[in-house]
Amino acid sequence: MHSVVGFAVFGVDWEFLKPYIVLGLALGGVYALSGVGIVVLYQATGVLNLAFGAIGACGALIAYWMINHTSWPHWLAYVTCVAFGGVVNLAYGLLFGPAFAARDPLVKMMGTLGLALILLGIMAWRAPVGGAFARFLPLPSSSHTFTLFGAFVNWTQVIALAFALVLTAVTTAFLRYTNLGTAYRAIANDREITATLGVPVRRVEASAWFGSGLVAGAAGLLLPDLITSLDYAALTFLVIAALAAALIGRLQSLWVTFAGGLAVGLAQALFAPYASLARYRSAAPFVLAILALLWLSRHRVVTITRTAR
Amino acid sequence: MAASRTPGQGAAAAARATFSLDRGSIVRGLAIAVFLAIAIFFLPTIGADWTTTFTSVAIYSVITLGLGLLYGRVGLISLGQVALLVIGVWTSTRLSFATDLPFPVLLLVTGAITCGVGVLIGLPAIRLSGLYLALITLMAAGAVNVVLVAINFPNGGGGFTGRTDTPDLSGLKPVARPSIAEGDTAYYRYVVVVAAVMFLVALLHVRGKPGRAWAAIRESEPAALAAGVNIVLYKLWAFALASFMAGVAGCLLAAQVGQPTAQSFQTQDSLTLLATTLIGGIFSLWGAVVAGCFSQLLPFLFQVQWGINPNFVLILFGAGLLQVLLTAPGGLAQQFPKDMANLGRLVWRGVGKVTGGGSGS
Repeated sequence: MHSVVGFAVFGVDWEFLKPYIVLGLALGGVYALSGVGIVVLYQATGVLNLAFGAIGACGALIAYWMINHTSWPHWLAYVTCVAFGGVVNLAYGLLFGPAFAARDPLVKMMGTLGLALILLGIMAWRAPVGGAFARFLPLPSSSHTFTLFGAFVNWTQVIALAFALVLTAVTTAFLRYTNLGTAYRAIANDREITATLGVPVRRVEASAWFGSGLVAGAAGLLLPDLITSLDYAALTFLVIAALAAALIGRLQSLWVTFAGGLAVGLAQALFAPYASLARYRSAAPFVLAILALLWLSRHRVVTITRTAR
Repeated sequence: MAASRTPGQGAAAAARATFSLDRGSIVRGLAIAVFLAIAIFFLPTIGADWTTTFTSVAIYSVITLGLGLLYGRVGLISLGQVALLVIGVWTSTRLSFATDLPFPVLLLVTGAITCGVGVLIGLPAIRLSGLYLALITLMAAGAVNVVLVAINFPNGGGGFTGRTDTPDLSGLKPVARPSIAEGDTAYYRYVVVVAAVMFLVALLHVRGKPGRAWAAIRESEPAALAAGVNIVLYKLWAFALASFMAGVAGCLLAAQVGQPTAQSFQTQDSLTLLATTLIGGIFSLWGAVVAGCFSQLLPFLFQVQWGINPNFVLILFGAGLLQVLLTAPGGLAQQFPKDMANLGRLVWRGVGKVTGGGSGS
């Protein structure tokens, strides 16, 4: 089927795997940047946002509608998609953030499940899927390709990976060197004490919600192009792969999250060409996340938490 | 509640303390009897599609019962109950193609196998708590879903998966219902009885020693440990019980639909199941019944009876989940009677004012 000209290491035909590696790195980039968005919000507010994927999916559907049903310029649709993520996340954060602030992280997470269900319901109602009908959200950057080490690469894939890299680096620097970043880290340590020190806790948290939402919107914009179709259920569960990345980073380290995202993306893509494994490849994020969780918990015996109410 | 015990009365006193015949328990017992009588004799007379829906309600109330026990009593949250349900459906389908077990035995065997799987998942997960346990069960559910889509449900083929691309449709026998309950109405009554037994099992657990151990674990693990509660045992026990219930529900579901398909189970079902369980109420066993109604009866009412887009139900669940988390941790099962009592008092006071004002002028 394919030429066996490529060089083989450990019995693996790398020439044949090249396109899958490119795809895996691009997917991994989206997972990584989503993971970073999730980790930053978790650090700043203690909320593990399970609605992350649903928000991106909703933004992508709006962009799809604007492109296909209006005559507005395309860039406006892309901007709207990203902005929608920021606005919805911010709205949730402003409405429910303070009410959940003193609660257990578990309860905070279930609150975002409520948001995810609401968004899922709206999407299933306004944009039903049926039969062979599929939506596509191609980005203009996908039509420009070049060859790198003998593999075709398009600019969307480059953008996904580069954006993840830049986001991770900038966020790390932001947390370390700016006043707002210091406030984030302080809130992550102790919200009450930070508030008594005069930090406007709610405004800082609002900025985290907004920033994380923008990342959700961007992920929702990039992913449909990389996985070829806009399927809101698949996009909603993007959050699982991103969570896997975040958990590999212990919900703390941005760079490990970045690496985790790439690992999840690569694992998912590299199983594709092997017929016996292809059917199970979408289980890769779950399995990696489970392993990460078990590894994290290897020393814990008794857990001290607030009662789950 | 706690009767003072003298030595020698032992088990009898304990039993009396557990089920003391005060007025409250008599009223409660009567309420349960009336409810069961309505469920068994009145509800199936409404209509055929209603009977099918009520069968689903009874089945789902068994799963939510297990989930409610886990979260409400022990403080453990599982987002993987739908995966266990799927394992139950799959196991019972595979078993009924491979063997001729009578239905009650099939129920128990499926429950036991699912229970085993649940304990296997629970054993490493038991060290995690709160957020991380919820996440690991969500991940496990996702992985199970992927495997299910890959191997699908058995349809009479050979091998472990029992799946063939060319099913012999003439010889295809769906999962057999019990011989005494072949018809829809009879099967509905059968399911209600099985569900009632499950609720009784849950009640015995909650009122007995496990319930006290769970309460101790939920309030504070270190304190429970210091008091000599075997934390690992009782956490695993809760997991096993919830998994057993999911397995039994899976077997009931398999026999209801006959030939299950992978398309009817989606990852988001785990989320809606959790939402409905919390909306129903986790601190009361009635909550599981309410949750079963919410997850099965409400979509039916929306879609078939009122002609409203069933996706509104999802929006409703999301909003309900947020509301329950913020203002009503006891769910509808606790909140509704409270609200009704408040309303009654308000109306009573209003009536008093009106009559008082009327006589004054």
